[in-house]
Amino acid sequence: MREIRIKPRRRFLVPVEAEGISPDVLAPLTLEEIERLEVWEGNRRSRLSDLFAVEGDDGPGKAADAYLLLRGDFSRVKRIGEKMTCGMIEVDGDLGMHAGNGMAGGEISIRGGAGDWLGREMRGGLINVSGDAGDYVGAGYRGESCGMRGGEIRIEGDAGDYLGEHLCGGKITVLGDAGDFPGIANRGGVIIIGGDAHLPGAEMASGTITVFGRARVLPSYQYQDTVDIDGRSLKKFLGDLVDGGKGELYVASLEA
Amino acid sequence: MIIEGGIVYDPRNRVLGEEMDISIEDGRVVEESRDGDKIDARGMLVMPGGLDAHAHIAGAKVNTGRIMRPEDGRRGAEARTKLLRPQSGYTVPNCYAIGYRYARLGYTTAFEAATPILEARHTHEELEEIPIVDKGALTLFGNNWEVLECVRDGDLGKLAAFVAWGLRASRGYGVKVVNPGGGEAWGFGGNVKGIDDPVPNFGVTPREIIRGLMRANEALGLPHSVHLHTNNLGKPGNYETTLETLRAVEDIAASRDRQVLHVTHMQFSAYGGTGWKDFESKAPEIAGYFNRHQQFTMDMGQLIFGSATTMTADAPLEYGNARLLKAKWSNHDIELEESSGVVPLVYGRKMPINAIQWAIGLELALLTEDPWQVIMTTDHPNGGPFVNYPEVIALLMSRAKREEELASLHELASSRSSLPSIEREMGWDDIAIVTRAGPARILGLPEKGHLGFGADGDVSIYDIDPGKVDPSKDHERVKAALSRAKYTIKGGEVVVRDGEIVAVPQGRTYWVDASVPEDEAAKVRADLVDKFTKYYSVQLSNYMVQDAYVTRPRVVRAGVV
Repeated sequence: MREIRIKPRRRFLVPVEAEGISPDVLAPLTLEEIERLEVWEGNRRSRLSDLFAVEGDDGPGKAADAYLLLRGDFSRVKRIGEKMTCGMIEVDGDLGMHAGNGMAGGEISIRGGAGDWLGREMRGGLINVSGDAGDYVGAGYRGESCGMRGGEIRIEGDAGDYLGEHLCGGKITVLGDAGDFPGIANRGGVIIIGGDAHLPGAEMASGTITVFGRARVLPSYQYQDTVDIDGRSLKKFLGDLVDGGKGELYVASLEA
Repeated sequence: MIIEGGIVYDPRNRVLGEEMDISIEDGRVVEESRDGDKIDARGMLVMPGGLDAHAHIAGAKVNTGRIMRPEDGRRGAEARTKLLRPQSGYTVPNCYAIGYRYARLGYTTAFEAATPILEARHTHEELEEIPIVDKGALTLFGNNWEVLECVRDGDLGKLAAFVAWGLRASRGYGVKVVNPGGGEAWGFGGNVKGIDDPVPNFGVTPREIIRGLMRANEALGLPHSVHLHTNNLGKPGNYETTLETLRAVEDIAASRDRQVLHVTHMQFSAYGGTGWKDFESKAPEIAGYFNRHQQFTMDMGQLIFGSATTMTADAPLEYGNARLLKAKWSNHDIELEESSGVVPLVYGRKMPINAIQWAIGLELALLTEDPWQVIMTTDHPNGGPFVNYPEVIALLMSRAKREEELASLHELASSRSSLPSIEREMGWDDIAIVTRAGPARILGLPEKGHLGFGADGDVSIYDIDPGKVDPSKDHERVKAALSRAKYTIKGGEVVVRDGEIVAVPQGRTYWVDASVPEDEAAKVRADLVDKFTKYYSVQLSNYMVQDAYVTRPRVVRAGVV
């Protein structure tokens, strides 16, 4: 395993676009080459080493063996792990928007919170978040008919609004609460919410959403019966009927 | 500038593959140039600049497509350079990308195919932002209340005066008619079912609307004929409507040396079958009719597999598309003039209907014997984006390529069309006609589409030697060469070199100013005052496109006085 440690040199006031921070891009490069990578801070082009301190094992190496350790405040650094196919990114702190965009494999583990659009259009691999995540986790790009298609996202805290929007496959688990409209316009996939959620599954065509807390259910969902899941009794609904949907929605406790 | 030693195809001047020099000075082709600039075109194909006579490239519905499709926007994203502005989009590119991409293909002129008068200002705002190419816009008349009333009252003089006024109000170039009567009926959730189905509240039929507008068009002597999108477009069995429409206007004569009617994106109007299950090609029937009737022309509306964004003033058609495909849908009512719709979709090789549609476009072009009757188009972006023109040209030139493609399609493309049996392969002379000389003649642009003295200095040069490359076998070479012009010259200026943009001049906008007798114009003015007072959401005084919106006009005069 080749360890590469990356740390911001200062606090960023405007967003930094750092899609290069991914095992697939960094693995074939030496540390010196990594330092010369292009990153954008707002509308200003910089070298990676201008903004980040890079150290660790020199390369090149294989992406699958790469272990990226990010320490510090990455909450304004975007697109980390974009399109990664293998390897490991561990973040000791918060991570910014669009982490794991289109990720196909490997793992991102965040000891902290994640920004909006975590795992957008993800196809495979695993993302773990020990804190909260923002809006649009596992969602689609604006206008696309599919968001996440595969892989898994696990969030130990809460998730924001539009969790798994246009989800077409894969699995998202949130131990805390989810915001408004989790699983909106879903066409497959599995969403499990440990806490509460508001109006899950609007326009869902197919897929499964389970809410172990309280949820307000749309009137366009049809009640089926009560089922046992993990030793708990949940109400099963089918919908969203406004779209002729056949999605399954399980809710422990109904909000009036 | 002298373009030396190229293999020139200029069918209008009967130059078919001769090695010759072309001189350009002050933006025009001349006998001799004195400035000393030289371009070495030896061993290369030289043609007049390409001319797209039917594409949806500017205006409200194009922009609606962009707004609906951010996912399309990211597909063609390119950062700005020192010379170029940022680009986006594949089926609905931004204005800059439209100009650059046409130029890279060797195209130097493009016409927007459908503009309602009410939204013409938007069309011109976008046309002004499209770099390099010359352009123009066809104006929609087929569902306009004033037109329907003039037709109902049989007042041809007033109708001609209104058409002239509408062209001036929209700074438009020609008369576009889309699903005549159907757009008006759509305001009440309906459609017209054929050319003799009366339009609600007006009591006129599509047959009468088409005939009326064609007679007005010819009375005004407009450079282009009526440009018709037929009734029942896109529906199985509609070839009968198409043929019925053509038979209904056989007696009308053209006032100029051109066709009397142009039927656009014919692929969508050449369908057999009673429904989608027995859907089949009727291209041979349509092409056969065109072979017997030289007064009509068509463009292909070729389908390209992959992503497309359909956009048309045929709003009921788009409603059907959206329902059938469960796709995104935009629906629009344009007051007294039109309705319209936008629906993105994907054409699939293994989808039986799409595969047959693909075959129909090619059948139409190949079975119509006279290439002057056919324009190569994809009805951008309805059949597919215009950047695929080299693919279509390669298909027209190579039976082997068609067979390769057919093998990858749903088998119904072979059994429900006549394409597998068509041996014809177009030559470079045919291609120069269907992409250059033909559309110039059909649009009525005497300075375009050829390289005779006095023609516009618009030239495309491709790195392919017609004497050495056999397009039938080496179709990949053809497609590659046509996708990146070696040089594109616009108005005597090199705008593309080695497939890259090197200069970004601003093109001009054609529009037609037709004069009419004052008494007829006065009748129209009285009607308009009444309509704007009662119905329009804008004032008549705010309605006309002002000159400020067309900063580089090229005004073509026509009219009855």
